[in-house]
Amino acid sequence: MNLTKFRPTRSELLPGQKRLSPGSVVADVGLIGWFLFSLFPIAWMVILALKNAEEQTTTYFQFSPTWSNFATVLSDKGTQMTSVDFKAALLTSLLNCGGAVIVSLVIGIPAAYAAGRWKYKGSNDLMFQMLSFRFAPELMVIVPLFVIYNQIGLFDTKVGMIWVLQLVTMPLVVWILRSYFEDLPADLEQAALLDGYTRTRAFVMVALPIVRPGIAAAALLAFIFAWNNYVFPLILADSNAGTVTVAITKFLGGGGQAYYNLTAAAAIIAALPPLILALTIQRYLVRGLSFGAVKA
Amino acid sequence: MATVGLNGISMSYGKTRAVHDLSVDIADGEFFVILGPSGAGKTTTLKSIAGLVDIDAGTVAIGSNDVTQVEPYHRNVAMAFESYALYPQKTVSENLASPLKSGRTGKYTDAQRAERIDQVTTTLGINALLNRFPRELSNGQRQRVALGRVLVRPADVYLLDEPLSHLDAKLRAAMRAELKQLGAMSKTTTVYVTHDYQEALALGDRIAVLREGSLVQIGTPEEIWRRPADTFVARALGQPEINILDGVVDDGRVRLGGNSGAFDLPLPADVRRSTGDRVRVGLRPCDIHVVAGDSTSARLTGTVRLAERLGRNVELTVDVGGEQLIVLSSGREGVDEGSRVSMTVADKDVHVFGAGDGDTARLGAEQSLEAAL
Repeated sequence: MNLTKFRPTRSELLPGQKRLSPGSVVADVGLIGWFLFSLFPIAWMVILALKNAEEQTTTYFQFSPTWSNFATVLSDKGTQMTSVDFKAALLTSLLNCGGAVIVSLVIGIPAAYAAGRWKYKGSNDLMFQMLSFRFAPELMVIVPLFVIYNQIGLFDTKVGMIWVLQLVTMPLVVWILRSYFEDLPADLEQAALLDGYTRTRAFVMVALPIVRPGIAAAALLAFIFAWNNYVFPLILADSNAGTVTVAITKFLGGGGQAYYNLTAAAAIIAALPPLILALTIQRYLVRGLSFGAVKA
Repeated sequence: MATVGLNGISMSYGKTRAVHDLSVDIADGEFFVILGPSGAGKTTTLKSIAGLVDIDAGTVAIGSNDVTQVEPYHRNVAMAFESYALYPQKTVSENLASPLKSGRTGKYTDAQRAERIDQVTTTLGINALLNRFPRELSNGQRQRVALGRVLVRPADVYLLDEPLSHLDAKLRAAMRAELKQLGAMSKTTTVYVTHDYQEALALGDRIAVLREGSLVQIGTPEEIWRRPADTFVARALGQPEINILDGVVDDGRVRLGGNSGAFDLPLPADVRRSTGDRVRVGLRPCDIHVVAGDSTSARLTGTVRLAERLGRNVELTVDVGGEQLIVLSSGREGVDEGSRVSMTVADKDVHVFGAGDGDTARLGAEQSLEAAL
């Protein structure tokens, strides 16, 4: 996702004011150039996905657009070509990533709350320990993980995938939400305690609703990161728990022909769920619910 | 309703000492004010009564129960926070209903709840705001809602943390008067934290002055004002600040005005210091009375260096034998910058403190401090 898109441009900041200095023209041209440059891979992918097999390797802009690639990817024909059911992989991805995000939220929200509220000797070290899972390249741990997963029977299971994806999603959820809980004035929960509520109820009643935008943001990011993960499903899963990221690459062909147009179509289909999710929860992403909670 | 007893409580945030060995007994139904500058440990003291901070040492008792290890929600205290701490996602009426819905402040039917809320909002004049969210309120309105959330419920102790500090001056004065008249406040033990000496003197049955986490003086407003325990308390109360002058005892009088000893005042009888001892003398600007022209009864004479009109008073800076004295006058004496003035000070308004650079203790009979404790 291209986040720079959401930054307000100069003309949005100054409605009705159009300054035409040489500098601004140069800046605008530069920005448009950068915009086209950034968008090019996506445009290329879309174009490629609309081409038929004969035109897929041509580089000039002349082709007869067809939707058939999308149909092929999702049909039995595609399954026969790659020996992977793309629809099933799509569903598996949804289950794996959805499951991983839910587990991360269930465990990570209380963890982030505790980390944000209670400081003790070594609490920061613990947080960095968790973050270090993100620093370390996945390839570094993948071989021992593969051995362990084979031994305890988690290889190619959805439970195993959800578990290993915690390495990706949990640090994100905990770190993002910790900062939200740190920003939340402790007075609010203390007021709830004195109103006669237990710590758990104060947390659920007061803290949780206020950090809801943060939870939405963390969940979305975690979902995207889990969705895009390639190495873990590649090594730790096969036909049962294989995800869409691995399934896409099957269209590049193992030994026979490479189907670039089908690959592009598959990639576009695979990009849709995170996009739809982002649009759905967009309104929850807006911060500022806690604005005015404490003195202005 | 209950007494509150703090016995030797101490509390630190890391290496920072917030409260040190503080012991206070608050009577049933008393309006008790804790006064001190920021960082004196006032809020920490309040929160240790509420159970919101874990104290390192000492005990807290409410009524006859030791509540040191009791969770906040079992202590039956209500608190108004300095930050108001209104739930942002709830309306005013939901905020006010919150303590009544927890089940730990008594059981209420919907009708009973509505009635209590109605009573409180009528008293505080926030009837029209019930369906608003905290973000849609002014600071004065938020403060009233926060106070309402305290008053709406029965509690053994009310804890109020600087409830008026974010209001503008006029509203603050009005709310101060209102607070004093609230029936619930006069019946329930209330601990009120403030850094404003006027609020403390106006509201408190008794005042405890804190400095750097330690109790400096405790007593009625009259005692604190008339017999400050040391120069810190003397300086903390009163605007403009008390004049503190270095002096030397000379045969039952104190010579002031530097080495020349340009003027003197009688040494209070209960100060046992002999000739040659160094002391400090405190004179409140409002206790120095300007007498027009030269008067035989006048004790001090000086030249006005600066005259500033501050509303109903004129603040004079008077040069008396080389010392700059701040004097509050009514402004009717017709004195102006450069004019000579005579001033009188009553014997009882002469405060004598030990010599030294930092805060020094009051000299004289200590019985006022002992009696208050």
